[in-house]
Parts: sequence; structure tokens; C-alpha cells
Amino acid sequence: MPIIEIRNLSYVYHPNTPYEKKALDDISFTVGKGEFLGIVGSNGSGKSTLIQHFNGLIYPELGSILVSGQDTRDKDFREQLWKKVGLVFQFPEKQLFEATVFDELAYGLKNMGLAAAEIEMRVDEALKSVGLEPEQSRKRSPFSLSGGMMRRVAVASVLAMKPDILVLDEPTAGLDPEGSSHILQAIKKFQQDKGVTVILVSHCIDDLILLADRLAVLDQGKLLAWGLTRDVLAQENLAQYDRLLPDYLKMLFDLKKRGWVINTGLLTVEEACQEIAKILRRDGT
Amino acid sequence: MKKLKLGGYLPGDSLIHRLDPRTKLLGGLAIIITILAVNSWPVFVLNTVLIFLVVYLEKIDFKAVLQGVKWMWMIILLSFTFQCIFVKGTPLVVIGRLIITREGLYLGVLTFLRLLILYLSSTILTMTTSPLKLASGLEALFSPLRYLKVPVNQLAMLISISLRFIPTIIEEAEIITKAQKSRGAPFSSAKKLVRLQTGMAVFIPLIVGSLQRATDLATAMESRCYTGGSNCSRLKKLNFGRTDLMALALIAASCILPLFCFHGRFWQVPR
Repeated sequence: MPIIEIRNLSYVYHPNTPYEKKALDDISFTVGKGEFLGIVGSNGSGKSTLIQHFNGLIYPELGSILVSGQDTRDKDFREQLWKKVGLVFQFPEKQLFEATVFDELAYGLKNMGLAAAEIEMRVDEALKSVGLEPEQSRKRSPFSLSGGMMRRVAVASVLAMKPDILVLDEPTAGLDPEGSSHILQAIKKFQQDKGVTVILVSHCIDDLILLADRLAVLDQGKLLAWGLTRDVLAQENLAQYDRLLPDYLKMLFDLKKRGWVINTGLLTVEEACQEIAKILRRDGT
Repeated sequence: MKKLKLGGYLPGDSLIHRLDPRTKLLGGLAIIITILAVNSWPVFVLNTVLIFLVVYLEKIDFKAVLQGVKWMWMIILLSFTFQCIFVKGTPLVVIGRLIITREGLYLGVLTFLRLLILYLSSTILTMTTSPLKLASGLEALFSPLRYLKVPVNQLAMLISISLRFIPTIIEEAEIITKAQKSRGAPFSSAKKLVRLQTGMAVFIPLIVGSLQRATDLATAMESRCYTGGSNCSRLKKLNFGRTDLMALALIAASCILPLFCFHGRFWQVPR
């Protein structure tokens, strides 16, 4: 049974004005429990609007969204949804405001009404999971940290709430490789250890290809493709959105365009090498 | 941010949109001064006709123009009613102890038109003029103050930058509010103190972000050799054309001429 069910969702900004913009256009798909879904799309494709529907910040006027079977148009349900669905915004370090890292992580937990001992435990656990040493970082001011560390603190502040569904909007944007691998590892571990559903948004398939079980590709508010990662990559129509693709996939699609009979549903460069070698051998003999 | 803010700029290509910002500023000012200073009928009728002509010409849905007036109607109606009832003079209609006088009705209608024209002229100005044009218009109008050693260029830059960043900061405040809501921030708590603390969770990141942005902007401006002097040229020069001249002439005609013709004569309020 799916944990999130999106049915014919549309969303329009500033209706009936010159600024009118259709952000989402008739989108339907589902997310299974414990699944890792990657949402891909370029800027302005509607990714950020879509994910704000998941924790009830925006509710649908056209179409509907069910989260664990309940409709988010129900106001009482929507207002409690933040406990179930943790949402990490783009550039989450912008939301930090407390005096110490500990208070920052404890903010959501206090709002949940947890006991002090439980909060202490969860803060330490969350800090460790993103690769920060609790003893060293607890008492520091979040504003004295580097950009990458601030990002990790912000992600940890949502992880500490232990949501059933974790949604992240471009969590690695603008980070160095070390910073992004800390965050991606923490997310993957969180999903595997706790059986949590994770939805990760990115403008580049590269980040998601090895992490995600399924992909959803958005373009200008429309759902272009949705399914298992390999199936989505194998699809013909993905080629025209090559700005979203990593280099080796661009090459595979290119070869396909030149008449090669080639499978593009491949996840790594090694797989691509093998596929090309296979075809060359077959054609050679 | 689903609804547009009252009086926010709506891009367009109507005659009014294309007028020089100086024309609109001066014209609006002239109409407002006339409306506030004069009490005679023909002036009001002329200005009302004029302002509705402008509303027609700007090609924006009239409903959008009046969108923000819902509370304005309250004020307008209340002042109209009070004028009607409390001004003493020749009785016109008597309902029990309520006496509506001729003078009261006259003043009531005047107040009604006065408020309506005040509202419309300022709204039309901001709805049809982009903030940047408005700032350069203000700079041009205030430029004589240079001789009094007022740094007009810097003030204009200050105004443009503030206007430019209002939407950015509103947007950022919305995003931070949503981010804190996602961590369960109790924005609608019954306790005032809790609500205040929650406000700080938005306010502090907003200030930090604005300071950061201000520093970045200053660096960016300095690296493009901005020194705050008056030697800056503009990408878009203001252009005072024939339509502007005609518009100003029309406004002058409806604002000034009636003063000479009618003021202090038979159209005055009967005393």
C-alpha cells in the first residue's frame, strides 16, 4: 500500500493575473512505504511546489494527495502532518536561528513535546549521523560554523524528529564533495536503518541514480516519466531532456540516435562500458 | 503568495504605463492637492471624470484596482453618513430624530469623492509604474535639491534598492516561515509569548540573511566601480514626450482652470 498517493494534482500561482503560472499540471503517481524516490527536474519544473504538498504546507485545489491514506485537504490532519513528514528546504542553513547547535536541533523536538532526556539522546544521535562530533559541536553557535557544517546541522534538525517520510529539496546544492557525501550517506543510512520513506529532489539525475529506487522526472509542471530507475533511464523520451543527464548517459542516447540498438537503462559508467563492449563484440564477430 | 498585494505593480503596455514617471508623479500630486484644497463642484466633477478616464486607459481590470478598497468602503461610507447627519443646515429629509441636511449631503458627497480620488490616484501610480521607474522619476524631480548639497543620487539609489528588495525579502520570509512550520513552529498558538518567540524564529534568520545580502550587494557594486557619485549614467533614460505634455496639460486644465473660473462664486458651499 502506497504511503503517498498523488491524484491528478495541478497548482496555479497567482490565478487570473498577468503573473499567472501553472506550476503543476495534472500529476499522478504514488510513493511506496520505505521507498527511496528521486524527483528530477530543471529550475521552474515545479519540484519545490510539489514537495510542499507532501507535508501540508500547500494543499491541492485541483486533484488530491493522500498521505498514509488521509487527504491533506483535511485541515486538522494537515496541521499535524509535520510530525510525520520531515521537510528539508533548499539551502536549509538559512533557517537556523538558535544560540547553540543543541538548541537548533532541539527546536523541532520541543515542539513535538518530547521529554528532556529523550531530546538529549536524539540530538546526539542526529549529530553523529551527519558526521558531527556531539561533544564539540553542541555548545557552538550555528552561525560560527562553515556553510557545509551549517547545512549538516539543518539537515540533522529534521532527522532528529525521526519522521516517517523524509523529503529533501536539493540538500547538496553548492556543497563540496565531502559535505555532500556526509549528507547523502546520512540520508541513505536513515532510510535503511529505520525503514523510512525518502524523497530526494535534484536537478541532476547523477546525484540520484545510485541512491533512488524510483525516479520521477518533472518538466514544466508535467510528469514526464515515473518508475524504477532503470526503466526510466531506458525510456526513449528522456533523450530530449539531456541537460538533466550525466555525461555517459548522454553518450548512450547519442549512440542510440545514430542507430545503435542499445539499452540506456544503466546506472554506472562500468555498466555502460560493458554494454558498449558487448555490442562491439557482437558486431565484430 | 497567491494573492497580489494591494497597489502592486502590474506590468502592461497601456498609454498610462508608457507615460513618463515624472508626469504621473506630478499629475497625481496636482490632482491630490486640488482635491484637498478646493471645495467647489465643477472641480470635483472634472477630476472624477479625469481619474476614471485614466482607469479606463490603463487597461487593468477595474476589479483589481478596487480589490483593496473593501475596508476603504467602510471608511468612505461612515464619513459620508456622519457628514449627512451631523452637519447643521437646511433640513432635507427627517427620519425621527435624524435630520439629513442639504449641506450635510453636499459635504458627504464631497468627502466620498475626495477619498475615492485620493485612493485611485495613488493606486494607479504604483500599479502602472515599475519601482525602478518610480525611483528614477523621484530622482529627476528632486534633482534641484543638489544645489542644497542633498545627495540626490544616493537617495535615489537607496530608494531603488529598497524597492527592489521588498519582494525578495517577502519571499524569503515566506520560505523561512514554511521551513519553521515544517519543524512544528506554533504560529497559531493561543499564548502571546509563544507566538512572539515563534516570530523570532523567522525574524532572526531574515535579519542574518538581509545583512549577508547587503554585504554581497555592496561588494558587487564596488567591484563595478560604484562610488556613489553623480556621474552614473542610466540604462533607460526617462523620456518626456508629446503624450506626457498632453497629459499634463489636461490635468492642469482640470485642476487649475476651475479655480479661476468658479472658486469663491456661486458654486461655493452655501453658508
